[in-house]
Amino acid sequence: MDRSSHLSVILDLCPTQWLLSAQPSNPHPLSFDTFLSHLLVFLNSHIAYKHENSLAIFGALPGKSLLFYSSEEAGDPSTAEVVQPDPNSYRFFKTVDQSLVRRISREFDILGQPDTEEPCALVGALTKAICYINRLLHPAQSLSSPEDSANLPDPRILILSVSPDASNSYIPIMNSIFSAQKLKITIDVCKTFGPDSVFLQQAAYLTGGSYIYLEHREALLQYLVMSFLPTPSIRKIITVPTEDKTDFRAACFCHKHVVDVGYVCSVCLSIFCQPVPVCSTCRTKFPMKTLQRLNMTRASSLTGTGASQPSASRPTNGTPAKQVYTGLAANLR
Amino acid sequence: MPSTVLCTGKATYKKQNGTLQLTNSHITWTPDGKVAPSLKIPNMDHSSLLCSKVGAAQVKLKLVLYSFSEGHTFTFTNPAPVATAEREQFKNEITNYISRNRTARASGQLPTDAPATPATTNNFAAPPPRTPTIRPPGGTPRASSIASDKSGSGNDVADYQLRKRVLLNSPELATLHRELVMTGQITESEFWDGREHLLSAQAAMENQKKGKSGQLVDPRPQTVDGEIKIVITPQLVHDIFEEYPVVGKAYSENVPSKLTSEEFWKRYFESKLFHANRASIRSSATQHVVKADPIFDQYLVKDDDGLEPRKPVAGDVEMFVDLGATAEDHGETGNQGDTTMQAGRQKAALPLIRRFNEHSERLLKSALGDGPSAKRRRLNDSNSMDVSQIELDDLKDSQASEGIALDMKNSQRYFESRATSEGDTPVQVSVPQAFNELESCLGGWERSLTHFTIDKKAMEAGLASMTSNVKSRLEVKTKRKEIPENLMRQMSTCQTAANEFLRHYWHSIYPPPSQASLPLTETLKNQRAAKAAKMAGYLASTREKVEAIVKAAPYEKVDPRRVELAMRPVLDAVNKALAFQRNRIARGGTPNPQTPR
Repeated sequence: MDRSSHLSVILDLCPTQWLLSAQPSNPHPLSFDTFLSHLLVFLNSHIAYKHENSLAIFGALPGKSLLFYSSEEAGDPSTAEVVQPDPNSYRFFKTVDQSLVRRISREFDILGQPDTEEPCALVGALTKAICYINRLLHPAQSLSSPEDSANLPDPRILILSVSPDASNSYIPIMNSIFSAQKLKITIDVCKTFGPDSVFLQQAAYLTGGSYIYLEHREALLQYLVMSFLPTPSIRKIITVPTEDKTDFRAACFCHKHVVDVGYVCSVCLSIFCQPVPVCSTCRTKFPMKTLQRLNMTRASSLTGTGASQPSASRPTNGTPAKQVYTGLAANLR
Repeated sequence: MPSTVLCTGKATYKKQNGTLQLTNSHITWTPDGKVAPSLKIPNMDHSSLLCSKVGAAQVKLKLVLYSFSEGHTFTFTNPAPVATAEREQFKNEITNYISRNRTARASGQLPTDAPATPATTNNFAAPPPRTPTIRPPGGTPRASSIASDKSGSGNDVADYQLRKRVLLNSPELATLHRELVMTGQITESEFWDGREHLLSAQAAMENQKKGKSGQLVDPRPQTVDGEIKIVITPQLVHDIFEEYPVVGKAYSENVPSKLTSEEFWKRYFESKLFHANRASIRSSATQHVVKADPIFDQYLVKDDDGLEPRKPVAGDVEMFVDLGATAEDHGETGNQGDTTMQAGRQKAALPLIRRFNEHSERLLKSALGDGPSAKRRRLNDSNSMDVSQIELDDLKDSQASEGIALDMKNSQRYFESRATSEGDTPVQVSVPQAFNELESCLGGWERSLTHFTIDKKAMEAGLASMTSNVKSRLEVKTKRKEIPENLMRQMSTCQTAANEFLRHYWHSIYPPPSQASLPLTETLKNQRAAKAAKMAGYLASTREKVEAIVKAAPYEKVDPRRVELAMRPVLDAVNKALAFQRNRIARGGTPNPQTPR
């Protein structure tokens, strides 16, 4: 049960979001250096947890993504960072901490101070993390010995996210989720700053990981240790916190309303809040008869919702009325 | 009808004395003192026969019919030896008819399902006449007959029987039926309205022709009161003779010259012959029963487990089904021999496999008739190496379509629309400053790590919120089965009833597409409006019912809030329908929502 475990951490290093996060106007400001301290303690605890535990740290920087640190690299003298020995600290901790910070700072030296910020390459970092784990799970044939298969690390990815969802990354993220599912990688998400991320919520939900929205941000370490330190195999015994509710409702494509009852294109599965003659996504034409029937249904159900005031003015046709039925959001406990 | 009397006997039926007579077309029973028979069954209807034990106090014969599976029981009233002789005579004759009927039915020459026509002169219950339920496929006439709103349509007997069987097969539906239709809340036809598919599925299932059972005849001993018994029916005897001709041969040679029938069977079931004829590799537990038997052992033949089957395979084996055909591919060329399908690797199984094969062949013959079947003939005519032989029609997709290629126009819009609808405008920040800040944070990391502390309050708050999160999930997991069964049943009853009413309500408001095309007459409109109003009336009482359950909850030691929460979706749905109905009435009683406005 208590096998060695691999953890890949993805750091969202979006400078503007971190600046916003540190602003004192926030109810719970969290600056990057405080975050870094919390994170380093967490990473060190993961290494200390079991001698065989391995670690990889990926960064999602503006416009690029890269591997900051990996246990594999650190063990190889040709690639390892030169770390001054420090009598006051455990050497492995020191190696992780120092190589990570040095790499980050080197990257920001290269980036300089640009006038515009490119979007953070979260997808790139996620893909690299999955590839890295894939390599761990499938070592080269010549190197693998039979006993290795029993010792395969119990892999997971932890995303520490601060930036909001980038809409154009929906499909790549979904594809990454499917790859992760196939490799049985658990994706944990800690939303450190900003609004809830729908994509990452789904990533955690679909891979059996846990999604945590950081409420009391000063206590980041508490959340990290409690939710993300237990390995997936141990989580069968120790329940870790995760979000209570997952909203599975979809937003319509035409007005971006969240709808309870929508009309779905039978060809491309686009969602509309009202019946349309032609699908705006794939240009499929729908039969007139179906359309009439749907419109008829809709017209009368619209009048139905206004029933609390019988004298209310009749809704005119074509006004999209937002129908919200409560109690539909699935409560997944 | 001129008919030959095959045998007669004195027998009681339903405790009345009378005469039983078998002719070449019917079996009749005439009560004493009457001329016309009160029971007349065509011989074509005989399904199976059961007899009381030889030597039993009463000499009985039970005849089971295809149209009346409960069967008729006759008791022969003459003194014992005469009665037994009479019974044997009937038994032999009827057994002939039964086996003839079986083959006829199996081969699909279903005799006209003529109901047993009892003479109506007497007062005892005659078997109920049964209307054949064979209907044209698709069942459209029935569907329409149901859809036409004839309340109390019990006139169609076949429909009634069909419904009854559907209900018998589905206890949940039967419960609903009992609660709604039996109490008169909705009519029978309303209940079935929208459930036509269940009826047509049932009809289709019943119309499927049943062939001869594929089971190998294998009488299994039953243990009754510590005695091991094998119940022998005339039918079983017939089946055994058919399946194992050698037993038939033994019977004809030894009964009654050397053995009585009873002795014959007793010794047979203890003999090696019976165990050689087994249909499975039985456990050795029964082996000790086997005795050497001078009569039966001479019929024993060696187990058919040689390399070649004793009975030679008729004709050439088709190339494509011949397991030996690929043998030459293996061996010298280096391909490994087929290790999975080696004929006769397990020697003990060989006789059994061959018996199964023979049995299957016999079964196939009985179903297809003797000569080469249509399929076989087709295969034999064509070249035996024709690959088209192994093309299975069933696997061909006759309606394969290319599919519609997804041609996405302005895909950008598609992805944009997935973005969260968080409407807050981004706070303007200076980008260079942000980069600068972040970099400067990296400088003093060692110092801040050494002085690392966490705010105690925030930590406790975080811990508390996470613990409550875990706790609430744990509670759900552990307290699932808390609601007692009685309350649970009330809740589910209330829910299913409300759902049924809702279904009918919305069905009358928005008729399904199949009915939407019907011409909208005034009567139809009114009918629908009336139905909607009636259903709305029932729905209105749902709230009271739910409240009653909620009130009852504390007595069952259940938190009423939980019941309320559980019933809320139903109430929401009901309220929506009621609001809709109120609104419709308020709009001036236009009962038809389809009026374009």
